[in-house]
Amino acid sequence: MTTGVSFLRTALVLLLLLTCVNANATDNPAERIAVIDWGVAETVIALGITPLAVADTTGYRTWVDAPPLPEGTLNMGLRSQPNLERLNQLSPDLILTSAMFATDRERLARIAPTRSIDIYSADGAPYAHALAATREVARLTGHEEEGEALIACTENTLDTAREVLQAIDRPVYIIQFSDARHVRLFGHGSLIQAALDRMGLNNAWQGETNTWGFANVGIETLAQVPDAYIIVIAPMLGDTEQALRTSRIWQQLPAIQRGEVYYLPPVWIFGALPSFIRFTLLLQHALGAAVDSPIGSTAQCTTPLTPSVAATSGVPKESLAP
Amino acid sequence: MNRAPLITPARLCLALLLAGLILAWQTINAQLPFNYTRWIGMIFAPHGDDIQQIVVHYAILPRLCVALLCGGALALAGTLMQQVLRNPLASPTTLGVASGAQFALVVASLWAPGLLSMGREWVALAGGSAATAVVFALAWKRHLAPMVIVLAGLVVSLYLSALNTSLMLFHQETLRGLFIWGSGALEQDSWQDTLFLAPRLGIAAVLAWLLVRPMAVLDLDDDNARSLGVSLRKLRIASLGLAVFITACVVSAVGMIGFIGLAAPAIVRILGARRLGARLIWSTLLGALLLLVTDLTVQYFSVGAVTLLPTGAMTAALGAPLLLWLLPRLKIGVDRPRSSVGITLPRHAAQGRVLVILLILLIAIGAVALCLGRESPSQGFGGWRWLVPPQLNDMLVWRAPRVFTAAGAGLMLALAGTLLQRITGNPMASPEVLGISAGAAIGVIAVIMLAPLAGPLFTLIAGSVGALSTLSLLLLLNHRSGFLPERLLLTGIAITALFDALQGIVLAGGDPRGQQLLAWMSGSTYYADSATALWIVFLGVILLIATLPFSRWLTLLPLGAQTAQALGLNVTRSRLVLLMLMTLLTVSATLVIGPLSFIGLLAPHMARLMGLSNARMQLLGAGLLGALVMVLADWLGRTLLFPNQIPAGLVASLIGGLYFMWGLRRL
Repeated sequence: MTTGVSFLRTALVLLLLLTCVNANATDNPAERIAVIDWGVAETVIALGITPLAVADTTGYRTWVDAPPLPEGTLNMGLRSQPNLERLNQLSPDLILTSAMFATDRERLARIAPTRSIDIYSADGAPYAHALAATREVARLTGHEEEGEALIACTENTLDTAREVLQAIDRPVYIIQFSDARHVRLFGHGSLIQAALDRMGLNNAWQGETNTWGFANVGIETLAQVPDAYIIVIAPMLGDTEQALRTSRIWQQLPAIQRGEVYYLPPVWIFGALPSFIRFTLLLQHALGAAVDSPIGSTAQCTTPLTPSVAATSGVPKESLAP
Repeated sequence: MNRAPLITPARLCLALLLAGLILAWQTINAQLPFNYTRWIGMIFAPHGDDIQQIVVHYAILPRLCVALLCGGALALAGTLMQQVLRNPLASPTTLGVASGAQFALVVASLWAPGLLSMGREWVALAGGSAATAVVFALAWKRHLAPMVIVLAGLVVSLYLSALNTSLMLFHQETLRGLFIWGSGALEQDSWQDTLFLAPRLGIAAVLAWLLVRPMAVLDLDDDNARSLGVSLRKLRIASLGLAVFITACVVSAVGMIGFIGLAAPAIVRILGARRLGARLIWSTLLGALLLLVTDLTVQYFSVGAVTLLPTGAMTAALGAPLLLWLLPRLKIGVDRPRSSVGITLPRHAAQGRVLVILLILLIAIGAVALCLGRESPSQGFGGWRWLVPPQLNDMLVWRAPRVFTAAGAGLMLALAGTLLQRITGNPMASPEVLGISAGAAIGVIAVIMLAPLAGPLFTLIAGSVGALSTLSLLLLLNHRSGFLPERLLLTGIAITALFDALQGIVLAGGDPRGQQLLAWMSGSTYYADSATALWIVFLGVILLIATLPFSRWLTLLPLGAQTAQALGLNVTRSRLVLLMLMTLLTVSATLVIGPLSFIGLLAPHMARLMGLSNARMQLLGAGLLGALVMVLADWLGRTLLFPNQIPAGLVASLIGGLYFMWGLRRL
């Protein structure tokens, strides 16, 4: 059942936790950084920095999950309305935000120098933006070395995945359930498309997408490409899992009939490089198992973000069977 | 007058049926090109390997059935409610059924997901019934008088949707599915919903038919009906209970689709169906076909679209222009008897003293809001701290604009509400109901979605353009009728429906910017700076002074147009002037803190409940109360969940709603 998913998630969290423990050795304690956007926050944390404050820490734990928030990081309110009184009291020396939450750039700038780090924009090239964002954050915080290491690790991970998944010659749908009848289908402009491109995989969804790279559609859309694999990104909200058991459409989808649906733990789909790595690893393990590829044969990063073979576990194919 | 009307209910239904058939053919044919054996298979027994047959059989066909069932059911419920409540504004959402059901689902999703897997319809039904029970309890002492029920229903609805919104604000990603549900999505994945709805609605339709004869009595006024030996309370409970049951079934299956229930009965009445029996039959048919055609049109246009077009939101978007077109043709309020039970209130002897106490309270709460706040755990106890001048100065930069903006906006909304309730003589009136704030909000949403990087000045302009176009539309459509209260309110509702549709589509699209939109719409002072704060307080005071000289008009207008005219008032001109003033008040407040409606609805009522009954006293009292509640709400919102912030509008709704319910009980 879903326990397979949670085991996989635990394994990954532990892995990424290692990263932070190690990277903290080079932390510069003078840095007082407040981060509003979670994609930027995960980048900061992956560079080994403990942010002074992050917006909506509870949400970060649920939706981004890894790399985990360091102990001392404070909550500073919702991302759409970071608490200015608290920010003022904390007096950070750098505030990192993104265009989506840019409405009060001016007021934030009265508290501390404010930078907007943007990954998702109309040109639909999040990977290039994520690389630039990582370098920018690294430069601003004096962690250039860690930044390059993170980039190298991402590239390595993607290259490894490409090798492992060479045998996959059919397209994949990458979806996230909104409820049992509606899914987000990831495509052009998303982090996921960028990762798929690098891995040499075909996205089954070639349709239009919004600025964040997904389309909202009914599940019957998944019948359009019958020979596709289906990858489901957690969480399944509310009673979705239950409802899918009685969904005749879902149960009759060719991929379900063939047992080619895979369930991944949460990935922050509006994230930066750490989310790229996480998604790539998870997908590699899921699909790698599907084609009996020698999993995790080569990847060797120069940072402790290196995936380990231990992270794999059986992805529950039988889950949600009628 | 003897000329046969061109459009009759039957002809309209026939036209819609034709349109529905053509669109349905088109939809199915696009999925599975016509082929005799495959079509037979797709209808009766889809072949397991033929995914197109399966999609038609389990997604498209059940969707057609669900659209017909839900549309018919909502129209039926709407007719029942309008008959019982004697209010053309009543609709299945009026009694809090829909928001009760939604609230129950939100709570269950967050804290008891196990309940959902036992059956979401039961959760929705329980929530909807509980909300309605509260409405009935509030109106019980008043023998379930139509106006009291409508008021109680409105307040319970607003209260629950305020709670819903605050939860959605903090759990936007988790409640994504409920956003879609909340804007009425008809997508199907099996025959489950059809099988759930058909028998329930069938029984409900039979029961409704049995109620037709007794309910026709409700066309008379209370005393006449009673003299015929009818137990009004039992009759109202039976028919409203039935309408609630129907609504809860529909809401639990497909979510919020409110407009059909309002529009179908209205259209049928305009097209000449008089007797209750005829109205029930034709509005049920019309509702079913309206929803079917809308849903098929939505499907037709959403092929290849990125964003879901939720049907519930789209019925509102398409229904609004329809209602606007119908308005000049609608006969309302003229030949319908008024309920004999109105709200009469005790008159307080010492109105001046009440005002002084309110003023002192306002100053005290203002001081608390400025000085008492919470701090980071690293500096102090992580708890409350009262700041005095040297340290306070640093904090005032952040707090003062919010406190003063809250006060100014509360004052203006309260004045706008008082004006509107007196102009229209309708206790359901509030600036939001008139659609002015919705118009402003449409402009602001457009800026947030289309040009997120545009500056505040651009937002201001867009909001003003939206509000002014709404006002022009209002004036244009209502000029000839001399601004009849009900007509004005209906126009407002149609415009608000357009706004709701837009909002529903944005939120259902799962756009991450939705959270920002939610925060603004629920009335946050977060974006206020010192310049806007000064402006808004200044404007508020000026407009208050400008409003006071009109107290004679405001005293006469609620007496009804004829009485006012007889007393020497130019009704049309005075309504126009007051309407302009009200718009100015609403727009100024809306642009700063969002389309917040509760204060505008509540403050005038609270003032009256405190015994401030004459126009001038009510204006002053409502203004002070509006400012007071908003300042308090803003302070609570900033401190309660520190460092998270709850928008002031939401907190105001929660405080004001409780007070209002208590006041209703005491009546």
